[in-house]
Amino acid sequence: MGADEPIVSVRNLHKFFTRGSEKIDVLIGLSLDVPEGEFLALMGPSGSGKTTLLNLTAGLDRPSEGVIRVGDKVISDMSESQLAAWRTRHVGFVFQFYHLLPVLSAYENVELPLLLLPLTAAQRRQQVLTALDLVGLSDRLHHRPGQLSGGQQQRVGIARAVVTDPTLIVADEPTGDLDSKSAEEILNLLVELQKGLRKTIIMVTHDPRAASRAERVLHLDKGRLVDDVTNPGDGAFRTAGHEAGPSEMFTRKP
Amino acid sequence: MEALKAVLMWLLALGVAGAAVAVPCILAAPYFQEAFTYWLAVVVAAAVTLLFVVAFHQTILFYLRFVLKSLFRNPLRTGLTAAATMLLVFIVTLVWTVLWFLNQVMTEKSKDLKAIVTERWQVPSQMPFSYGAALADGATRKPGDVKPQDSMTWQFYGGTLDAGKMTRENIVFFFCMDPNKFLTMMDGIDEFTPDQIEQLKKWADEMVKDKRKVVIGVDRLKALNKKVGERVKVHSMNYTDLNLDVEIIGALPPGRYAQSAVMNCQYLNDALNEDYPRTHAGQKHPLADKSLNLVWLRVPDTKTYEKMADQIETAYRDSTPSVKCETASSGVASFLDAYRDLLWGMEYLFSPIALVSMAVVIATAISISVRERRTEMAILKVLGFGPWRILWMVLGEGLLVGAGSGLLSVALTYLVVNVWYGGIPFPIAFFPAFKIPVLAFAWGPLIGAGAALAGSVVPAIFAMWVNVAQVFSKTA
Repeated sequence: MGADEPIVSVRNLHKFFTRGSEKIDVLIGLSLDVPEGEFLALMGPSGSGKTTLLNLTAGLDRPSEGVIRVGDKVISDMSESQLAAWRTRHVGFVFQFYHLLPVLSAYENVELPLLLLPLTAAQRRQQVLTALDLVGLSDRLHHRPGQLSGGQQQRVGIARAVVTDPTLIVADEPTGDLDSKSAEEILNLLVELQKGLRKTIIMVTHDPRAASRAERVLHLDKGRLVDDVTNPGDGAFRTAGHEAGPSEMFTRKP
Repeated sequence: MEALKAVLMWLLALGVAGAAVAVPCILAAPYFQEAFTYWLAVVVAAAVTLLFVVAFHQTILFYLRFVLKSLFRNPLRTGLTAAATMLLVFIVTLVWTVLWFLNQVMTEKSKDLKAIVTERWQVPSQMPFSYGAALADGATRKPGDVKPQDSMTWQFYGGTLDAGKMTRENIVFFFCMDPNKFLTMMDGIDEFTPDQIEQLKKWADEMVKDKRKVVIGVDRLKALNKKVGERVKVHSMNYTDLNLDVEIIGALPPGRYAQSAVMNCQYLNDALNEDYPRTHAGQKHPLADKSLNLVWLRVPDTKTYEKMADQIETAYRDSTPSVKCETASSGVASFLDAYRDLLWGMEYLFSPIALVSMAVVIATAISISVRERRTEMAILKVLGFGPWRILWMVLGEGLLVGAGSGLLSVALTYLVVNVWYGGIPFPIAFFPAFKIPVLAFAWGPLIGAGAALAGSVVPAIFAMWVNVAQVFSKTA
């Protein structure tokens, strides 16, 4: 892969479901590139296909048509088992509801993906401690999810996402279940990961404030990409054709 | 605390691995002709398993830990599932113990087999004691007839120590026989230690010298609340008005004969033929000519048996009563024919119902657990756990509950039934009690694991194919 090549490349992506005899198009001919180290936000109304796009990009689902390339792998052709193995090494997931395993401690939750990799116990321990230190939870190693606040649980979720040093981090409404203070902390953490560790992050969000922390915002509606906005870093968003402020951008209808 | 947990996890991992070796080894034991080959196979299997455990200990320990944690998140449900499984394994173990023992005694041998002579048309057999001598000789009449290698006559004398209170604890059942034949003709003598055999010889000598002396199994003696050296009066239950004073000189060791008792047949015959007429105005006892119940004959092979059986049946064809000669196994089988429906029910109705119930109980518990944890399964998939790993995690939960409960159930059953209760007091044939065999330690975990596997395979497949996108869309 060349230096200028995108880390995620999606071409002519179609995804449809069938309900009885009815065909429901969720994504229609979507193409996009995500450069390495970019923090990308996906926005759009419910049912616009943003979570489906996230799932497809992360190898959780397979497209009906089209090609998805992540790094040097075409994941749209992979079998379920191949995708599972690929996800372990290349994708970190952050969920809205954290989705930590309640019976495992923070340490064990973060360790979980590492168990699938050929590492020694010492190497695993080192990586888990680093990840938990990164999210500021070194003092909560043996706490179970039920003993942590929402913000802390999400930080454990982020530690679990980064512990394998993945190519891509995908986050589905990571601040959706948090109060504004915790949400801010989580967004800061994601930005830190992107800027400090050069991680590529794709985040689905409904929250304009969360989206404003991303470098670029894609707006989807009815399965199509309707807007591609780049955040210049000075608070003003630049769309493909014109300048616009964030509030305007997020409220604009296609 | 963490160190203790780690040690316990290691012990559990080694226990599971040990069971994985032990169960097939116990099952395979009867098929090995030589002890050396068998133990070599055991050592190789153990070494391979140990290497496997050491090589993959991290993964094994993780899965064990994860499975245990999943099981203990709802201790009540897991406990109830385990309790139900234990109960059902207990029932199946009892049923199979009886069936297994009967199957063992009914299995034909081709060499060193025993023949059994009984009355042809009546059960229980009641032959004149005078038949004994000729039958012990194989009813030989002409040159070329074959003789048995050894023989033994059996007369049954059952009685109670308290005529006014005939309870299970008071009853004793004697095999009346030549005491010296105990060591040469009874089954299972090879299970005794050299010291025990030496002791049996001494008792036999004493019983020959003094016909009133008897030996009683250690468990029966305990049930009777009597001790070696005591003299007791036995009030007969099958020989009317023929009560015998006996002196207990020994306790048959724990095991097959722990509930049995042995008396010199001479004592019974003298009481029957001499003492009874003397005290009853010269009248013969009603069973005086019907006291011989069984004659055992040892023959070297099937061919000798067939010839000897023909000799005996020909010699007694026109006698009253007529007799029949069959191998011990078929003799037992004929005797058990009366219990055919009961045994059929035990084997083909009772056991399968218990097994199916067990599978349903485990399936229900695992299904609920899997349904509750669909999101967790989806998370594991997201993190890269493939479908097969998830399948094995769910199966692992079922297998651990099933095999663990099965093993625990058998261990408790073994202790309670064999050690505490002295065997299953199943009133069938002339078997005193059915002891749980060591083989049951293989059945228990296998029954539990088998039922668990059958019960958890469908929930495991559902877990395996959980649709991640669908689960998360519902969660959201």
